[in-house]
Amino acid sequence: MTRIRFSFSRKSQLKHISHLDMVRLFHRALRRSGLPLAYSKGYNPHPRFNLAAPLPLETTAEEEFGEIFFEEEVSQERFLKGLGPQLPDGLELTGAFRVDLKAPALPALVKAALYWAQPVTGTQAEVEPEAIREALRKIISQKEIIATRPGKKQKKRRINVRPFIIDLELNIAAGRTPAVKMLLKVGSEGGVSPGFVIHRLEEEMEKGLPEGTYWCLHRERLYLEEDEVLRPLSEGM
Amino acid sequence: MPAVDGKLEAILARVRKPARYLGNEWNVWHKDHTRAKVKMALAFPDLYEVAMSNQGLKILYDSVNRQEEIFMDRVFAPAVDMEEMMREHDLPLFALESRLPVADFDAVGFSLQYELSYSNVLNMLNLAGIPIYSSERRENDPLVIGGGPCTYNPEPLAPFFDLFLLGEAEEALPELLNKLADLKARGIAGNELLFELSSLEGVYVPVFYRPVYRDGILIGMERTDPRAPAVVKKRAVKDLDSVPYPDAPIVPYIQSIHDRAVVELFRGCRRGCRFCQAGFVFRPVRRRSREKIVETAQRIIRSTGYEELSLSSLSSTDYPQIDRLINEINEALEGEMTRCTLPSLRLDSYSIKLADQLHQGRRSSLTFAPEAASERLRRFINKDLSEDEIFSALGDAIEAGWQGFKLYFMIGLPTEKREDIEAIVTMCRDIRRYFEDRAKRKPKISVSVATFVPKAHTPFQWEPQLPMSEVFKRQQILRDGFKSMPGVDLSWHDAEASLLEAVFARGDRSLASALEKAWRLGCRFDGWSEHFNFRLWEQAFFELNLDAENYACRRYSYDEVLPWDHLHCGVGKEFFIREHRRAMAEDFTQGESNDPDSF
Repeated sequence: MTRIRFSFSRKSQLKHISHLDMVRLFHRALRRSGLPLAYSKGYNPHPRFNLAAPLPLETTAEEEFGEIFFEEEVSQERFLKGLGPQLPDGLELTGAFRVDLKAPALPALVKAALYWAQPVTGTQAEVEPEAIREALRKIISQKEIIATRPGKKQKKRRINVRPFIIDLELNIAAGRTPAVKMLLKVGSEGGVSPGFVIHRLEEEMEKGLPEGTYWCLHRERLYLEEDEVLRPLSEGM
Repeated sequence: MPAVDGKLEAILARVRKPARYLGNEWNVWHKDHTRAKVKMALAFPDLYEVAMSNQGLKILYDSVNRQEEIFMDRVFAPAVDMEEMMREHDLPLFALESRLPVADFDAVGFSLQYELSYSNVLNMLNLAGIPIYSSERRENDPLVIGGGPCTYNPEPLAPFFDLFLLGEAEEALPELLNKLADLKARGIAGNELLFELSSLEGVYVPVFYRPVYRDGILIGMERTDPRAPAVVKKRAVKDLDSVPYPDAPIVPYIQSIHDRAVVELFRGCRRGCRFCQAGFVFRPVRRRSREKIVETAQRIIRSTGYEELSLSSLSSTDYPQIDRLINEINEALEGEMTRCTLPSLRLDSYSIKLADQLHQGRRSSLTFAPEAASERLRRFINKDLSEDEIFSALGDAIEAGWQGFKLYFMIGLPTEKREDIEAIVTMCRDIRRYFEDRAKRKPKISVSVATFVPKAHTPFQWEPQLPMSEVFKRQQILRDGFKSMPGVDLSWHDAEASLLEAVFARGDRSLASALEKAWRLGCRFDGWSEHFNFRLWEQAFFELNLDAENYACRRYSYDEVLPWDHLHCGVGKEFFIREHRRAMAEDFTQGESNDPDSF
């Protein structure tokens, strides 16, 4: 048996598909590859495959991770040559590593993610960077930001997501549109989506954004935590 | 085209399920449309998720695109939120992969699968910027073609279509498109173009026929062009093994209603259930060879990675030696971790054994369609099944460990009496009790009740639909009966939607104006309960002084002219009259005498 972790990127043509769609996509690509996938036991066997962290809708990504178990020996090269051609335009494998069979599950490692959000006005109208900076400052200064999430038995839970916002920053590169840099907690211990933060940002902006503005979201990197310090997930391979 | 793409990006960010409008899924044909001599947009008038579940669409997309010089792209009905965005931003209806405006194609072909999709057809034409009336189209507008089961009575749509293609299109459509390219190159247009195309078998050009009425009743179809055939016959493929089957079908990114590999075993059906249009219009029965099916199944699984394979046809368990076929498929797919399924089962022991063969693991619910709960009514519709046979089959299923059943019934059948309705309740109660006695646990039973819709080219085509007020009464009898049966899930088709279905299934060309009005009033997605607006339809009929129940609930007589008499499905009127009489005498007709070309 072999366990392989791999990294991949997602470009804009595939940003419109959900996490579940992505899982299905990988399942099918893996089956088409002819590689000796290991399947779970039980009545509804599925490939033993995991993505490190769900990628939000409308988000492109630079360095995502997944892992797969194979029934036999599979080298990194055989894996890349087998799966690579089965992936559609917009998804690209960027690396593969063999991992100890007993290593902890990949999703459990993920603690945080770095996102970029850029407003696109679709017109000549411009977004005022100061207005964004001011709104970000307001969010950072708040102790409580309540989100309602679906809970058990149709009840909605109210939780404070402010602790999940690690850092927010405005970046203005010369001559380019302002971009919001967000370091957010993500994973099984709780997290917040970039979409939620952006929505909050828009609410905090006094004048709001020009009509028809939408945001381009990008996830640059995932992080694990070691001794209370965030390190890129790639270092955990 | 940059113009479409720029606007599109901004719009996709603001609609639900933007993946519906992306195209470029796995296995799409990447062809250069600029190198094609003719381009066609294959249109399905419903959402992406519904369209991509339709096997006919996949068959046509594949068979036409195999022709090097023809380019075929898909277009589906945009959801209501997307439509709003498109109208707001002046974005015309565009095809999925090429992003070309539909109006730029040489032809747009609508797959007409059910009557409740008609308002979407008009809406899509309008969104594309194509005049909805055939008579108003200009030389540069695409040819608007209709195909699919509704072409067997397309009259309510006649003024909106340039032509209909009756029957199977996998050979006929490429022929038609090649001919279209040739005619256009020669500068032929208008009615002359249509006439030339009508020389192809299966092509029905509505403008060459005019309905004649007396006192509001149809008394005949006059030919406006004497060269047009008196009767148009459908196209049928002679040998299924010799036509290509899509063995590398498109794999959607998002979940469609039926998201699995499908291989078609055979076409047509010899059972002859008297309400079923599909069984008759797809005759003669033709099957694929076992070798072809196994080979195709293997190719599809390898090219898609699907985990489930459906062995599809109208009555799959009738395929000769189906158990052997299943074994051969399972052998061929050894190690691929693929599940085979059958769409629905006959209520007999043989079928139960097949179901057991296919589902080695957990056995949840089996689906059956008794349709009628009393033996008398079953004999009337030609479903040869006695009470004993039903319970014997169910007994086998219970023994095999199945957890429950999904049962389909139909109310509003001709000659139906109160006792037939009550028999549905009694049968379900008996099944439940039987299950509990033998399995020592409670079954999961769900019951779905449809309303009979009389269809063209069936022995019941003269029969009226039950008036809505009666349908409501009978649905209430069911609800009352099931109230005292906990653990049974009852659902039923909306009576108003069923009425509309019957109106368009039985009606003639005079309905076209009602369709247009209803669409202008805002009707869309009539097949979806959250969008279906019966008040608007009522208003449309009222404003035009038309009576919907007149179309749906008036009995036709044998010597009346039916709105589809000029269209031939391969089975003649005399046969249907004979079957109708036999039904009235409660005579059952065996499969063999039904169809001289049966297996």
